[in-house]
Amino acid sequence: MSDLYLRNLVIADGPTQIIAETTVTIPAESCTVFLGGAGSGKSTLIKAAAGLIVPQSGEIFLGEKNISTFSSAQEQEFRRLSGFIFQDSALWQDTSVFQNVAMPLLVHYSSLSTSDVKERVSKCLELVGFDDDSAKRPSDISIGKQKLVSIARGIIHEPKILFLDNPTGNLDEDSIEHIFSVFETMKEKKTTMLLSTTSSEIAFKLADYLGLLKNGNLIAFGPFEEVVARAEQSLGSSLQRLKARGQRRKKEPIPDLVEEIQNL
Amino acid sequence: MLEASGRFVRRKIQNLFYALGFFFQVVKETFFFFRRKQVGFKVLIMQILFTGYEALIINIIMAVSIGAAIIVIGSSLLPQFGQNQLIYSILIIIITRELGPLLTAFVITARSGTAIATQLGSMVVNHEIEAYVTVGLNPISYLVVPRFIGMVVSMLVLTIYFNVFGLLGSYWVVQFIRPISLNEYFGGLLAALEVADLFSGLTKAFVFAVIISVVSSFQGFQVNRASTEIPVAGIRAVGQSFILIILSDVFVTLIQYV
Repeated sequence: MSDLYLRNLVIADGPTQIIAETTVTIPAESCTVFLGGAGSGKSTLIKAAAGLIVPQSGEIFLGEKNISTFSSAQEQEFRRLSGFIFQDSALWQDTSVFQNVAMPLLVHYSSLSTSDVKERVSKCLELVGFDDDSAKRPSDISIGKQKLVSIARGIIHEPKILFLDNPTGNLDEDSIEHIFSVFETMKEKKTTMLLSTTSSEIAFKLADYLGLLKNGNLIAFGPFEEVVARAEQSLGSSLQRLKARGQRRKKEPIPDLVEEIQNL
Repeated sequence: MLEASGRFVRRKIQNLFYALGFFFQVVKETFFFFRRKQVGFKVLIMQILFTGYEALIINIIMAVSIGAAIIVIGSSLLPQFGQNQLIYSILIIIITRELGPLLTAFVITARSGTAIATQLGSMVVNHEIEAYVTVGLNPISYLVVPRFIGMVVSMLVLTIYFNVFGLLGSYWVVQFIRPISLNEYFGGLLAALEVADLFSGLTKAFVFAVIISVVSSFQGFQVNRASTEIPVAGIRAVGQSFILIILSDVFVTLIQYV
């Protein structure tokens, strides 16, 4: 799988600029986390990288190919190789949980038998910890469970690139721990992961590369340790405490990086 | 003031070109619909059930009532001029050429046009459309084309039903006013009926179906992010569909008569 390259990307909604000119390379087969406060432009950046938002200017390349010039077949291949987990689940309300999760398989692997699809859907729902009836409509299950279904839909076809927009929002503590293990397995399988979050904890647990966003500006980007080291001077004492503590220990309370970014 | 007017006109022209682009995209995707291994057939069946089957009763009631009204008025007026036989021509012209497709289109706009616009609008707000894109489904070919085809099929079938029940309804009323035999009544109708009458009505039904489905889908996709935009999309879909239906009705009639 190739790197994802965002070149001179500018995104605006009418007169309001959401993402200032940004150039960044998302390395393949690694986990890149964009961290920032609410309204910092994380979701917009992730959606633009996934080709869901057309930028005002700039280009997005997957390897050598500009994704805005994809042919129909290339677009279909890109979607087969990628998955997207939405912040607010975005499940299709007029179909069941089962049909929601099965859809990527039905679209990209139409030769699969009905029993194979059923088996893969139930395995995937089990993997993410969904323990309810898959015949239910999304509106009949809790928001937390909807999020699990959304995660299952994003990973069922074993994508090579996974876009995750605040993937742990609406999940309880136990589910978050469980989902972390799923994401860690995907990292081990060399899935390219592009994740936006407001949670420092996720960044410290998963990020190989870290981008810090503030008011639509990418104020820092690079390998995780390097960005943390670089940001230390400006982010102050909390990062120093973090470093001293051994950054990735699970049970340790993690300083709120986002709050520090907001105070910059 | 001048600058604001210029901006307004420019925006309207941009919207018009955007709408035309949307229309051509729908037409293009329609040609590929039956060749693709996509999963849009369920949406098509649901659309035909909702637009066609579920609107059948209201359409039949309307057709019988209109047919009855025409025969009652005609039976009292035409004998005064010694033109009893004209009732068949009037029935054919009003029901098959004009009111059949027009009233069916109004019913379909009110029922299905608003449903399409608000449903698509709420899908935009809930990011369901984006979710379709991420799994590789083209929202136009998966969501709009089945609604487009379903609307065309339903409109044509409902218009035929309107014609049949409008003419049958009038026969039923004739039995109360001036009983005549089934042979005489339908003989008179068939003598007055021309292929052009049927063709005219079905042409209008087709054009109206295209207008309702494209306008409603377009307005649904115009919703941006707020749920308050959804009812506005429904209102716009109905208003614009009505205007375009009436204008196209005049246009098709002019083509046929001039």
